[in-house]
Amino acid sequence: MTIFLLNVGFGLVTASVLSLLSVGLSLQFGVTNFVNFAYGSYLGVGMMLAYTFSQTLHFPFWAAAALGTIGTGVVSMVIAEGVLEPFVRRRKSLFYMLIVTFGLSLVLDNLLQIFYGVDFFQYPVAQSSPVTIGPFSFTSAQLAIIAIAVVAMIGVHLLLSRTRLGKAMRAMSDNMDLARSSGIDTKNVTRWTWFLSGCLAGLGGIVLALNIVSFQTNSGETLLFVIFAAVILGGIGQTYGAMLGALVIGMVTEISTSFISSAYKQDIAFIVLVLMLLLRPQGLIAAKGKA
Amino acid sequence: MSLILGYVATLLVTFFTYNIFVIGLNIQFGYTGILNFTVITFMAFGAYFYAVFVMPHADNASQVFYILGLHWPWPLAMLAGIVASGALGYLIGLIALKRLRSDYLAIVTLATGTLVYGLFGNNNKLFDGWSGLFNVNQPFQSVATNHPNEFSWIFVIFSGLIMLVVWLFANRLYASPLGRSMRAIREDQDVVDSFGKNSFKIRMLAMVIGSVIVGIGGVLTIQYIGALSPAGWTTGETFVVWAALLVGGRANNLGAILGSLLVAVIFNEATRYIPQVPSHPNLIPNLRNVIIGSLVILSIWFRPQGVLPEKKASFLEVPLVDKYAQGFPGEEPDSALSPAGSEA
Repeated sequence: MTIFLLNVGFGLVTASVLSLLSVGLSLQFGVTNFVNFAYGSYLGVGMMLAYTFSQTLHFPFWAAAALGTIGTGVVSMVIAEGVLEPFVRRRKSLFYMLIVTFGLSLVLDNLLQIFYGVDFFQYPVAQSSPVTIGPFSFTSAQLAIIAIAVVAMIGVHLLLSRTRLGKAMRAMSDNMDLARSSGIDTKNVTRWTWFLSGCLAGLGGIVLALNIVSFQTNSGETLLFVIFAAVILGGIGQTYGAMLGALVIGMVTEISTSFISSAYKQDIAFIVLVLMLLLRPQGLIAAKGKA
Repeated sequence: MSLILGYVATLLVTFFTYNIFVIGLNIQFGYTGILNFTVITFMAFGAYFYAVFVMPHADNASQVFYILGLHWPWPLAMLAGIVASGALGYLIGLIALKRLRSDYLAIVTLATGTLVYGLFGNNNKLFDGWSGLFNVNQPFQSVATNHPNEFSWIFVIFSGLIMLVVWLFANRLYASPLGRSMRAIREDQDVVDSFGKNSFKIRMLAMVIGSVIVGIGGVLTIQYIGALSPAGWTTGETFVVWAALLVGGRANNLGAILGSLLVAVIFNEATRYIPQVPSHPNLIPNLRNVIIGSLVILSIWFRPQGVLPEKKASFLEVPLVDKYAQGFPGEEPDSALSPAGSEA
């Protein structure tokens, strides 16, 4: 039982990491209406930018993490402006958009490896002994991860419900043409969406690296389909659904380690993805016209 | 001289097997519009299952573990490998082909690829983990005993014949009613549905046929090399096949051949002779992947139809003659399509 509860605690941490990542992917999908297969590489960009800022340029870690987050947002925006949006403007079909982002993932992954190699890295964060809270046990880094995710989720909620940008994003997600004809500057909103999606990917990558302690440039890559599982579970393009999906997937994968080897916990996410596609492909919170 | 001959044989076998991969992907993507982002997993499935069916039972003393080890004759084992690859395609199709959006299938193929890669690599009881299988029984060993090149050249002929059969089959499929339905689904699935075609079945057929063909290529690969480890089927390899198809020309099997010659043989082989940078042993492979990825993106930007575009369909058209149509005197009665009597 204690191990089970411990795993629930770890599930909370994994869900926090996943919530950042799946909300970032979902926001972008909702607005642009195509899946970004290079998203896994953005995690690596965030991780490595934060590493460079803290280790090479000797920024304090929190500042490096913030710069890494914003930096990934900028990278995401630049890639979208420079590579993806021109394809969208040429009205390339969905097939080609997916192949382009898929090709982009190969380019980004290998560029990261060229710059940083295949070594394992570690952030200069002191490894504290775990803190016991009730039945749970967390390291201070893990507590920070949960706090960051909660703050970020509240931030995303406020953005979507209280700001003009957020409302415009929701409008574009519902109906692009209607949004455009009501005078929303769709180009600008799309740009900011890519920025925000990149920021969340970068932040997610950094907290993922904090959680797994020692990481490589491509540590985020295998997580890509776990993110997809969370996004599809919640209903593709649904931001709140993505939060719910992340919670479910995070919990299920970690709790499963009480029963099976932890080497297979990602396979559990795959099984959830498959079941979801077979039973309820529109997701827990269905969006009209997206599935 | 014999060294060069052996090398030429290896190049030819590489060319033939990549042709087979590209034709398999062409049937899936080029004909039907199915996004298979893990082509290379099907190759690995074919190769691994061929190996465990043809190899003798795993000898625990050698610390090499794998399942089955049935020691079947190689043609039967070949069949087993091909069936395994087709079965994987069928399973993926069952999960994802009923969905309307093509993103789902792409996600499922990518997820399957990641999963299978991790599973086969981390679990050394299945296919010997990261070290992979080696000393896999090769065909023709009883006849090719004189010189290593003899096996290579017998294999060139063998794989060439198989490639030819696959090529003829793919062309036959393209021109068949089934192939036309496939292309119609690629263009607009709703229209095909409204004509009463079972588009799920047709897409599933394309998925399985493509997987089987890629599986054949996988079997040939491991037959020729005699070994395969997960390092031989990373995501980068999938891109080589995609790049070859997109550069050559989708839905055109001649384009597929040209693409595999340009990308898989000439580009991949040429970059092998760039000297290694001692401080960065991975620099050249990484750069190669960057170029392959850029090639995919650039070819979609500049020439999405490829070097050899798909031929426009030409149908035998019986001219519509409307015998009631009346032209004005001196006017050619060519307005066959206008409703009768409109000009009267």
